[in-house]
Amino acid sequence: MRGAVASRPQTGAKLSVSHVSKSFDTSSGDVIDAVVDVSFDVAENELCALLGPSGCGKSTVLRMVAGLEEPTDGSLMLDGQEIVGPGGDRGMIFQTYTSFDWLTVQQNVEYGMRLNGVPKGERKARADHYIELVQLEKFRNAFPSQLSGGMKQRVAIARTLANNPAILLMDEPFGALDAETRWTMQELLMIIMESLRPTVLMVTHDIEEAIFLADRILFMTRHPGRIREDLETRFKSGQRIPDKEAVTGLEGYADLERHIMHMMREESPNRERRA
Amino acid sequence: MRRQRWLEFKRPIPRRATVALGVAVWVIFFALWEFAVAQAWVNAKFMPPPHVVVGTLYEMLAGGAFVVDIGISIYRIFLSFALACLIAVPLGILMGSFRRVEAFFNPLVSAWRYLPAPSFIPLLLMWFGTGDTQKIALLFIGVLWFLITIIMDHVKAVRAELIETSMTLGGSRWQILRTVVVPAAMPNIVVAMRQMLAVSWTYLVIAEIVAATTGIGAVMMRAKRFLHVDQIMASIIVIGLLGLLFDYLFRLTHRRMFRYLDERER
Ligand SMILES: Nc1ncnc2c1ncn2[C@@H]1O[C@H](COP(=O)(O)OP(=O)(O)OP(=O)(O)O)[C@@H](O)[C@H]1O
Ligand SMILES: [Mg+2]
Repeated sequence: MRGAVASRPQTGAKLSVSHVSKSFDTSSGDVIDAVVDVSFDVAENELCALLGPSGCGKSTVLRMVAGLEEPTDGSLMLDGQEIVGPGGDRGMIFQTYTSFDWLTVQQNVEYGMRLNGVPKGERKARADHYIELVQLEKFRNAFPSQLSGGMKQRVAIARTLANNPAILLMDEPFGALDAETRWTMQELLMIIMESLRPTVLMVTHDIEEAIFLADRILFMTRHPGRIREDLETRFKSGQRIPDKEAVTGLEGYADLERHIMHMMREESPNRERRA
Repeated sequence: MRRQRWLEFKRPIPRRATVALGVAVWVIFFALWEFAVAQAWVNAKFMPPPHVVVGTLYEMLAGGAFVVDIGISIYRIFLSFALACLIAVPLGILMGSFRRVEAFFNPLVSAWRYLPAPSFIPLLLMWFGTGDTQKIALLFIGVLWFLITIIMDHVKAVRAELIETSMTLGGSRWQILRTVVVPAAMPNIVVAMRQMLAVSWTYLVIAEIVAATTGIGAVMMRAKRFLHVDQIMASIIVIGLLGLLFDYLFRLTHRRMFRYLDERER
């Protein structure tokens, strides 16, 4: 796949988040404004990254899209339908491993389809396809306790994709992996972007990861969380390059990275102390 | 090369040494006991030597009547424990899963935990007499409340991400309960059952010593009346061995049921 590229279509908004705010009531009686007036769209087959310093509300936004958290204000629409709760059309992948220990790899991947009553034959065929896609054929009948961290995340990705969601949500999916595994997984995601053409909203605090993977980066500010900048990774000229060195070598990469680093430093909680 | 010393911090020892040392401690224990009686340091009437106790145990078992008493005790344990599990497992799972269910039942359950089960013996005797029902009721209330609480805690400890993963794959509440919460908590629930079964044996002895005509405890109380210390000791050995046996069976079941668990998690 090295060097393979494809252009990205620009159709209407798949996900539409408008004027969304979220505050939490804490046990001490205080109210935390986690996210304030966030609006953005994600287009079909777009990979959009939510980037920002720790605690800026990235996970909260993602969880509202998943329907796991209710917005205090504003609305979220997927394919023109208001999001009112969690559902199989918005599959989520977490940073912590979520493979079900008591199921084999095959059963894990079939899990969502089983919930939704997909007939056995089709379930098996689809699971096989996705297990191959994430290269776990040899571990089909293994239990998660026998797998490495990267392999467990592959299981989670296959399980979510096999359920055929309208949008794939990922909360720092590679954050717990060692550098080399993370890199392999990022390239795998790029391959999936081209072969399955899913729509992806992904949270990360890793600048390099965001630039390499994303078509668009939403940079969020801290306390309260707002969208500070909506950046298109235009230097990739609308192409997806499943090869990390190639991307870092492109003209414009360094400028974008420097720009984001600068914003990250400005949002850093240590900044005031140093000043 | 470094000198091999007999005692080293945290140094693993060969398996054969573990077994040999484990056997040795018992051999020494019984030898000292025999020796003490033979030297008349203790009164053989109140402290019969081990070989007499073992002989008595053999006679009691061969006589058949004791075997019936053992059977009755096991029956009481099983029935009361099965009843307790029948209520505690579903209730503990629901309380651990849903805050409203917890808020309703927990004040009752935790209050009961602070009432020592044996304090109900006078009441139970009045209500049910000295028969099986009273014993089973005592064992039941002795185990039930703790079992509910422990199961609830294990269910609460099921990671939120597992439940949320199922939600974002389209799982309904019932499906999540059945396919995530229960299987995720089950290994710990079985451990909790194993621990509470051991507690059950304690209450059995109390129940049978207080007022009973059948069961291992009753055999012991009868033996006491006739100063048959050897029979009391033989009974204690039987209770210990049965406890050990059931614990072992539970461990075995756990191993069989949850083969998928990592060796370290067992
Ligand atoms: N359930 C909750 N109750 C109270 N406060 C919460 C809750 N969830 C999040 N918060 C607060 O909301 C803010 C945003 O949290 P969030 O987890 O969305 O940040 P994040 O950008 O994902 O951070 P990180 O990079 O550390 O994962 C934080 O201040 C956090 O303490
Ligand atoms: Mg987060």
